Amino acid sequence: MTNIKQIEENLKREAKRLLESKEVSVVLAYARGYDEHHPLPYAARTAGEVGNLIFNEYCTYNLARYLTKYPPKTKIAIAVKAADSRAVVQLIQEEKVKKEDLVILGIPFIGMKDPKTGEEIDQKTTCHMANPVLYDILLGEEIRDAGAGSPYDVLAELEAMDQAARWSFWEKEFSKCIRCFACRKACPMCYCDPCFMDASRPRWADKSPTADGNLMYHLTRFYHLAGRCIDCGECSRACPMDIPLHLFHKKMAKECETMFGQAAGMKIDDKPVMVNYGNQDSDEMLK
Amino acid sequence: MIGSKGSLNADHCEKEKVVFKKITLEKLGDLVSALKEKGPLYAPVRDGKAVNFQKITKTADVTLDFYNTVFSPKFVFFPQTEDLIRYTLQKEGAQAEPVPIAASPSVILGVRPCDAKSFEIMDRHFLGAGIIDPYWKNRRDNTVVIGYAFDPAAPPDPADFYNTVGIHAADTEGSDVFMVRKDGELLLKGITKKGESLLKGLAVLDAASAQDEAFFDETIRKDRGVKTRFTEITDTAIAAKLVGSFEKQEIWEEMTASCIGCGTCTFVCPTCYCFDINDETLFRKGARKRFWDACMFTDFTLEASGHNPRPRIFQRYRQKVCHKYSYHVTKYGCISCVGCGRCTRSCPVNIDIFSIVEKVANL
Repeated sequence: MTNIKQIEENLKREAKRLLESKEVSVVLAYARGYDEHHPLPYAARTAGEVGNLIFNEYCTYNLARYLTKYPPKTKIAIAVKAADSRAVVQLIQEEKVKKEDLVILGIPFIGMKDPKTGEEIDQKTTCHMANPVLYDILLGEEIRDAGAGSPYDVLAELEAMDQAARWSFWEKEFSKCIRCFACRKACPMCYCDPCFMDASRPRWADKSPTADGNLMYHLTRFYHLAGRCIDCGECSRACPMDIPLHLFHKKMAKECETMFGQAAGMKIDDKPVMVNYGNQDSDEMLK
Repeated sequence: MIGSKGSLNADHCEKEKVVFKKITLEKLGDLVSALKEKGPLYAPVRDGKAVNFQKITKTADVTLDFYNTVFSPKFVFFPQTEDLIRYTLQKEGAQAEPVPIAASPSVILGVRPCDAKSFEIMDRHFLGAGIIDPYWKNRRDNTVVIGYAFDPAAPPDPADFYNTVGIHAADTEGSDVFMVRKDGELLLKGITKKGESLLKGLAVLDAASAQDEAFFDETIRKDRGVKTRFTEITDTAIAAKLVGSFEKQEIWEEMTASCIGCGTCTFVCPTCYCFDINDETLFRKGARKRFWDACMFTDFTLEASGHNPRPRIFQRYRQKVCHKYSYHVTKYGCISCVGCGRCTRSCPVNIDIFSIVEKVANL
């Protein structure tokens, strides 16, 4: 695996080149936050601003969530880790961004750490991949041995529960929700404007964080993300109440993959699984 | 600086009648039980990775080994959701009853100095602005705040900046009783009459010695050696700077570019008090509820016409900073931020209000 300092150097070099040559008008990457362990997502617009860029193991944020905020045809370079690259691919599939407008700076890396806890986050809460699935420039050597295991291993405990135990697990977790909406705002796939939760006619859930309303919010959001969640784990990391939202998303992703043989955000030529139809699709959900 | 107009809590005790007690940490459970008998007790509880204030049901849940809670204890006076009126809709009109305001005396144990100060700031808005909020007032009047000094030997969290707003690690202001840790003991001193009478009624406490008192006073003095992040600001100067920066859109856009527009910072904040009121009805039965709202939400300023005066994130973030550091100064005479660092620590993308205030102060 390429040294993280070297990745940072490569990022700066490519960002500078891309901005100087006017290939892109903005580079989405990271800058120092209030200290080294708390970096900020950062948009460099000039070669002079490239000096502010950093990359270290705390740069967890999935920058793909910022892509849909730019006007169409903006030429953007974006730094992506493995899961982040899947978000970009999914956004391309959903026609929210165009590949021709993007320069994807891929970062192959294992060992990212949660800025809030300092804990390593890779295997349990993300898609367990090491290399970006799509990139124009790779900022480090491709990682050959990413380690064994599946992103769904972490579901074992939940899957072993019976229905009643699982229901009470999620009831308890959702009852903690305070509706700060950090999960939907951190999510690269939550770009609906307005979100169904902000609609007042009809109102889909109580405005105050009632247990029923929380259930309505989270279940609807989970289903909106069926076949679309790329398993970056940002929702769980953003949650100030430590609700393990990624577990539900992982379960949905696993079901989708089993039934339709396609994981979200892997190839730009794929159609999003929920808008596609094939004769071989599973009928399992109709039974 | 905060408090330039003086405290609303005027009943500070006189020096000669000091009530000063102590208890060993091993007997914390006894103290908790004794406090619980006085009414609902709110205290820090560890749940997973986080420590937060909770209404105590089990004595053993209480912990005093924490830096600060993820959420502020403001919910004790200003719960996230509160039913104001309950009603049943009828064929014509509705049958409605106001919900009585709970009046049982309660105690909050283990409040850090910045949070104790936040209650006094919120008093200005809920009690001192011409209209008294009966919900806030009732709970404030009936609650004893037991403050708890930050450990002077432990380094402050890098996100904290309470020194900037004139608060120190062992400030007693805003507390009714103030608590300092001395090796295996807790020293408790009455700060207000309310606090003194609570201490006097707790048989579980021992009398403290002159050495204990010297240690307590020394801790309060020594806290000036605890250094959080600091930038020199005065309330009127920063208020004026912010007004001056309002039209400088590029600066605000740049400072808030990474903000994702969630409401986490306002929900964890001890001095954010914005709320919404809504009727929530199911099968003709319902309640008129008040619940926390956040100026960071798109629909906070959305008007019925569809017009939104603050459609963009930088406008909403600017509003938040201007409210705390400018409009609150003009209207209530103090900055409405206690530098507890919660918004920075909980921000999903590490936006730091201190860095923004510092930048504006140096414009």
